[in-house]
Amino acid sequence: MPDPILEIDHLSHEFAGGNGIHDINFQVYAGEFILLAGPNGSGKTTLIRHLNALEHPSSGGIRLYGRPVTANLMLTRKTIGMVFQDADTQIVGDTVAEEVAFGLENLNTPRAQIREKVDQTLSRINLSHLKDRNPATLSGGEKRRLAIAGILVMDPEIIVLDEPFANLDYPSSRHLVETICRLNRDGQTIIVATHDVEEVITLASRLLILDDQGHLVRDGFPAELLGCLDRFGIREPCFSRMGYTAPPWQT
Amino acid sequence: MADLTLFSFNAGTTALHDLDVRVKTGLVCMLSMTLFFAGFFACLICFLALYPLIRSQGLTLLHLILRLKGFLLLLIIMAAARAVTVPGEPVFSILDVEITRQGLAQGTLVAARFFLVMVIGMLFAVTTRPADLKSAAQWFLAPVPFIPEKRVGLMISLFLRFFPLILAQAGQTADAVNARCGSFRKNPVRRIRSLTLPLLKKTVMAADHLSLAMTARCYSENRTDPAFNPGGKERIFLIAGAGLCLGMVLLSRESVRMIFW
Ligand SMILES: Nc1ncnc2c1ncn2[C@@H]1O[C@H](COP(=O)(O)OP(=O)(O)O)[C@@H](O)[C@H]1O
Ligand SMILES: [Mg+2]
Repeated sequence: MPDPILEIDHLSHEFAGGNGIHDINFQVYAGEFILLAGPNGSGKTTLIRHLNALEHPSSGGIRLYGRPVTANLMLTRKTIGMVFQDADTQIVGDTVAEEVAFGLENLNTPRAQIREKVDQTLSRINLSHLKDRNPATLSGGEKRRLAIAGILVMDPEIIVLDEPFANLDYPSSRHLVETICRLNRDGQTIIVATHDVEEVITLASRLLILDDQGHLVRDGFPAELLGCLDRFGIREPCFSRMGYTAPPWQT
Repeated sequence: MADLTLFSFNAGTTALHDLDVRVKTGLVCMLSMTLFFAGFFACLICFLALYPLIRSQGLTLLHLILRLKGFLLLLIIMAAARAVTVPGEPVFSILDVEITRQGLAQGTLVAARFFLVMVIGMLFAVTTRPADLKSAAQWFLAPVPFIPEKRVGLMISLFLRFFPLILAQAGQTADAVNARCGSFRKNPVRRIRSLTLPLLKKTVMAADHLSLAMTARCYSENRTDPAFNPGGKERIFLIAGAGLCLGMVLLSRESVRMIFW
């Protein structure tokens, strides 16, 4: 097996009152599509924030290519792209193109190169036609894809998405699933945190389950873990409850 | 979040949108200063010169009047105050209050100047991206010693980013309070409390999320310098602007003399 990109090693983050995440261990390998599932409050967001060193762990640590993520914050944050849950509070640009350029500007990339990469990324994610729009006027699904474009433009190794399907209608969800899927097929490593696995479980290559106490209780193939989802407070996908092995709309 | 008022940026491709923001800022300063001395006729010329630009933003005089109506009321009150306080030849009098010809003239002039400055400010705001505003500030401050222009630019852009967020939150909170009949409360302290506390909480949370998102995208002060995209008509605008100002000064010799001598 090749070396992992990320190694999460006995990571704990204790909030006052016993909440938080406790003794989390797993590795992330190139090209994986990891689904991080757990009920609300299980610590998915907390765990994800640790991945690019936005929080300090109470104990344990995370290594990126064998070195602590805190060793080179710029490299860590460039390598691990983070798409947060709330679309409105992560958009910083006045137009779609500026929003996508933001990360590259922070890396002090020359202006001509920024223009080129922004155009490439926008067409990759099907947002070219909205280039000059004010992001505030976009739909929920478009905002989510814009947030992905803003990360993608920095060429991250891993893209982490926190509850990407929250508040999206069915067509927007489908579109987003297709986008994420296409990125993964192109070799992009993906981690999706969600409390509802319905949309993506059949596409993921690996399923991690956090229980409501913040412990990592399962790590395995999605198909093999379908049956125990309910036990940890995660809704079992419809197709599985009805006895299919794959969702009818995908076969 | 996306309500487009008269003073917020409106994306577009008009000549004013394409004009380099530094030139635009310079022209705004020049015109506003000239208006300070402008006589009545100069104001009229200025308005006529600006009108094509107003039209280019898809606005008409009627739009301006309708949207600036609160402000116009203020101007009328201001003009009226002048009309009754400035001594001179009485034109007519109501209830022993004399309205003088000089007062009327001065009042109208002051109102006209204010109105024009307002229109210029609006044209600037509607056609200028907040980010460009920040770039312009950074550029103008760069030669000034002891001012860390990148940090000022950062502060401006943070303010510009947080401000609409706070307004949007305020709107949502007010709706949420009203939906639960909060507006029927008589006690003003309670009303303010029920609005500000949730608003403060939400704003702090939103600011927290925004700063996390910016940190996650490597936000740093050492960023790529702002790009200026001259549209190619800068020279024409500068010459026309300078000509207009010169013409206005010449037309307003009276008031220029009054101020300087
Ligand atoms: N800043 C904080 N202070 C105290 N407790 C917190 C804080 N942030 C999150 N928590 C608690 O940690 C737990 C995990 O939260 P979170 O990571 O947001 O879960 P999830 O994203 O899975 O819904 C929750 O019980 C939450 O109440
Ligand atoms: Mg969460």
